[in-house]
Amino acid sequence: MKRKPSVCVEIEPDLVAAATGDAEPGAVHRVEAHIDSCGACRDEFHRYREIEGVVGTLRRTPSEAESLTRARQGLESRLADLRSRLVSYRVFPSPLGRILIARSEHGVSLVEYLDGDLRTSRLSRIGGVELQEDGAEIETLHRELMEYLRGDRTRLEWPLDLRLARSDFHRSVLRATAAIPYGAVTSYAGLAAEIGRPTAIRAVAQALRWNPLPIVVPCHRIIGTSGALTGYSGDKIGLKRELLAVEGVQAIGTRSDSRVARNTLYHYERNDQHEYCLPTCGDIARRPIGAVTLLASRELAGAMGLVPCTACRPDLHPLAA
Amino acid sequence: MMGAQPFETIVGAHHAEIFRYLRRVTSRPAEAEDLSQETFLRAYRAYRTLGPDANVRAWLFAIATNLSRNHFRSEKRRRVAHQAIAVESREADPEGPEHEARFGEARGLLETTVAALPLKQRLAFVMRKIHDLDYDAIGRSLDCSGESARAHVFQALRKIRLSLNGHELPPAGGVERRASPAVATDRRGTDVPPSESPLSMERPR
Repeated sequence: MKRKPSVCVEIEPDLVAAATGDAEPGAVHRVEAHIDSCGACRDEFHRYREIEGVVGTLRRTPSEAESLTRARQGLESRLADLRSRLVSYRVFPSPLGRILIARSEHGVSLVEYLDGDLRTSRLSRIGGVELQEDGAEIETLHRELMEYLRGDRTRLEWPLDLRLARSDFHRSVLRATAAIPYGAVTSYAGLAAEIGRPTAIRAVAQALRWNPLPIVVPCHRIIGTSGALTGYSGDKIGLKRELLAVEGVQAIGTRSDSRVARNTLYHYERNDQHEYCLPTCGDIARRPIGAVTLLASRELAGAMGLVPCTACRPDLHPLAA
Repeated sequence: MMGAQPFETIVGAHHAEIFRYLRRVTSRPAEAEDLSQETFLRAYRAYRTLGPDANVRAWLFAIATNLSRNHFRSEKRRRVAHQAIAVESREADPEGPEHEARFGEARGLLETTVAALPLKQRLAFVMRKIHDLDYDAIGRSLDCSGESARAHVFQALRKIRLSLNGHELPPAGGVERRASPAVATDRRGTDVPPSESPLSMERPR
């Protein structure tokens, strides 16, 4: 067999490209010049032109419609399944320690103070979910949470996915807790009354112990009737104290016996006139925090639709800031 | 931030084409069905992190290509694939009975040759010649440079040229209405009108 001249070997890639509609302009000119003078390559060029034509028929071959439909329908159902299972999460540092945020397509499903690595997280104990470490969306949540912890933001208006709650009762406790405004504090007993289960005080406390969304569902705003901070996320009373301090609710006492400083807070005891009081109004500051809600500011009282008590006049004698 | 378009839109716009691509590089419909689903499930997991300017189509091709390569990593599967295509390719020819008689054999041979190409060449060939992806995108799909991708397509065409040796083919530009321009252009989408160029319609002197 005759060996091809080296010039023909070298130009072959360009020749094939030019014949099949795929060459750079410079290459086309080189190829044109070459096949003007080389008969073998001119034939070769033409042969590739024919091949390009046959290759073009592959484009027109339609997909088997039945198989395509089956693929698409299967995809829809597998996508729906994936969507319901997919939980994306991220762990990041915060002033309160490492925090994990996880969300599903419905909303934020878990906020967790993480002591160890991911294996210690509640996430790893949830069955039937597919975990995915994720960026962008959770980055926004992270940023908002940081703003909140700095006191630059008073609301976390996140869509919530309460599927990790254990029962309808659990969900109703979480919803009622989520409705407690920034800077207000009430008691487990008060919350139990709020959801129409005044005797279920322990069950309410237990439900909040398993709050899957601390900070967002502000269980730190719920304390004992005595004013004691009681518990928070295991033994993290210190965090509860910090979170309350951000909202202007100060606590006093030792780590094991912290209680809110009631003399620095406005008091609202449920009444038909919706009047709120100074802590010095009668013996209100000594009454159990059952029907009483504590408020960090007069603005908050106003926002809740409350009016100043006509006896103690908190509007004329505000608490020192 | 979320991807610029809802995922349903991405599925609607690209699933059929990705399926077609996978159908061409796999041997059985069931494989293409499954791989096309896998492609979009993977895409769903990742699309939120996609930038607003991302080329979604090229990105989907890259995922599908990766999945195909994993799928075919088993040599056994590949052998089965070749046999299946060799049989199937005789079945359909869109050109009618006369063409079938004259050129059907060449067309069948072409399909068999494409199916028997080394995987990277086959993937590059199908992405370029059937789906018009640019060489940079093909290179990214195959973890190689655009130049290597071009070389894969060149090698594929050489093999096709050899396997069709001695077979009569329809004259260039006569039958094939979709003749491509000689000069490489940005050929996005498969419905580019055939453009004319000095090298595309005429025989050289």
